[in-house]
Amino acid sequence: MLEVQGLSKSYYGTPAVEDVSFRVETGEILGFLGPNGAGKTTTMRMITGFLPPTAGRVLLADVDVTEKPLEAKRELGYLPETLALYPEMRVREYVAFRAELCGVPSSRRRARVDEAIQKCFVDDVAGKPIGNLSKGYRQRVGLAGALVHGPKVLVLDEPTVGLDPRQIVKVRDLIRDLRKEHTILLSTHILPEVEVLCDRILIIDRGRIVAAGTPDTLRQEMSQAPAVTVVLKGEVSEADSILRQLPGVTRAARIGAGGETRVSLAGAAGSDLRESVFREVVTRGWTLLELTPRQASLEDVFVRLVSRDAAAEVDTMPGVDADAPTPAPGTERPQ
Amino acid sequence: MSALKAFRAIVKREFFSYFVSPLAYVVLTAFLLIQGYTFYLIVLALNQPETPRTALMSLFFTSVFYWIFMMLISSVIAMRLLSEERKTGSIEALLTAPVSEATVVAGKFAAGWCFFLFLWLPTVLYPVLLSRFGTLDWGPIASGYLGIALVGALFISAGTFASALTKNQIVAAIIGFVFILGVFIVGVFRDFVTDPGWRDALSYLNLLEHMDDFARGIVDTRRILYVVSTVVFFLFLSTRALEANKGR
Repeated sequence: MLEVQGLSKSYYGTPAVEDVSFRVETGEILGFLGPNGAGKTTTMRMITGFLPPTAGRVLLADVDVTEKPLEAKRELGYLPETLALYPEMRVREYVAFRAELCGVPSSRRRARVDEAIQKCFVDDVAGKPIGNLSKGYRQRVGLAGALVHGPKVLVLDEPTVGLDPRQIVKVRDLIRDLRKEHTILLSTHILPEVEVLCDRILIIDRGRIVAAGTPDTLRQEMSQAPAVTVVLKGEVSEADSILRQLPGVTRAARIGAGGETRVSLAGAAGSDLRESVFREVVTRGWTLLELTPRQASLEDVFVRLVSRDAAAEVDTMPGVDADAPTPAPGTERPQ
Repeated sequence: MSALKAFRAIVKREFFSYFVSPLAYVVLTAFLLIQGYTFYLIVLALNQPETPRTALMSLFFTSVFYWIFMMLISSVIAMRLLSEERKTGSIEALLTAPVSEATVVAGKFAAGWCFFLFLWLPTVLYPVLLSRFGTLDWGPIASGYLGIALVGALFISAGTFASALTKNQIVAAIIGFVFILGVFIVGVFRDFVTDPGWRDALSYLNLLEHMDDFARGIVDTRRILYVVSTVVFFLFLSTRALEANKGR
């Protein structure tokens, strides 16, 4: 229901986004993942018709954004990254304003406004000026304003940035709830967020899509090296050097110490170490306590994919704590 | 149809947002002070038997000081129209709604103009007051207000264009004042040319003469046409400027 074909944007000859193509089906949440400055916001602004693309096209519910902007935007609900609302307006006034602006007929406006306000859990502050609300509330007010006209496609740019953990959970629940009625494209630089929310993931870096797929396939495809942890009973002194000689093993290392022998193994791409490890343990007469395949985390995948300096940034980017300090708008390199 | 609805929504929101900023009240107060003083001068003048009674309204517009004040107020009213939304970033949510840039510009201009007209609303009391002490010819008074509305539209549209050019409201006010001054000055050049053709042409751009005509009850369609076409021109420029600058 949202289709992007060969989208590119360059500023004065410098490419910011290059040849980005993807499709989001109805009822699907697509996560758009990338380090800061990778081109997420630029892409989203082109999708919403706010920035004209240098090349390529965007179909919102089968309508071309550049050719028929008004018709296309009727099917769009957009939550911008720098969410600016009108601080002097009351929540209900703002949502009603959005409804009128987006052409909701006056006979249905009241019901629609009530519905959006309830859906986004802002009914308890409906009479308050937006300027007095906390960031989490403002985010949900913005969302209520974005979906009050019942758009088919929702584009959410970093919807949980700057929220406290409880608010993040609320906003995530809300987004999960919205997938029933909307096609959702969501951008974020927070890994756990895509894992818990998204059906499919696009990883973008330096303006290009570097990987695409479901969280599971991405993990599998990109985990070139299978990894296994072996735990043996008692102290087995040469365990690591013996296991290292097994076919397919590229690396073996003792980890930890104490009553158990714990060895971490890594293998060549495409190999499965579990069977050979098991046979070796049996022939040696060791007691196997544990044989655990380790899954490459999405974080591994992400770090491997994005370029080096961006990866360094990711390291400092907290995965669980979403309240990552984002650079001030002026200091951010152009996206 | 939906463009009209969106236009109405924008005008409403923008107009009422004037009243939550302290600026509106400063402008309102200054305006009423100046108008009150002018009214006082009019009453003084009317006490002189030699003052003509036919063009009561024209007394409002005789001093250049008054015009400068009008220009200042118009540029202050218009300065925030587009620049503020670009500065805060709320323009992004606004323009990704199903509205065109032209609708947004038209709505903003209309809201500014409405506020300008709102400023004049209390002054209706003055002729009503005067009418208790003598008979007034209401025709020229009505056409005088029409003239004011037209001049206001002209000034506010120039200010709207200035506001589309920058994110900084103060800069917008200054540029707007220069534009408005330009619109005002063009007509004044009438007095510096000798060629009768040019003189004639420039006199239609002369706002002093414009107000004089309207205050006397002369409603000249050529003057209306001049104002309407200039307003449309400025709004067109604003739309293009907004289209070009919105993402920056």
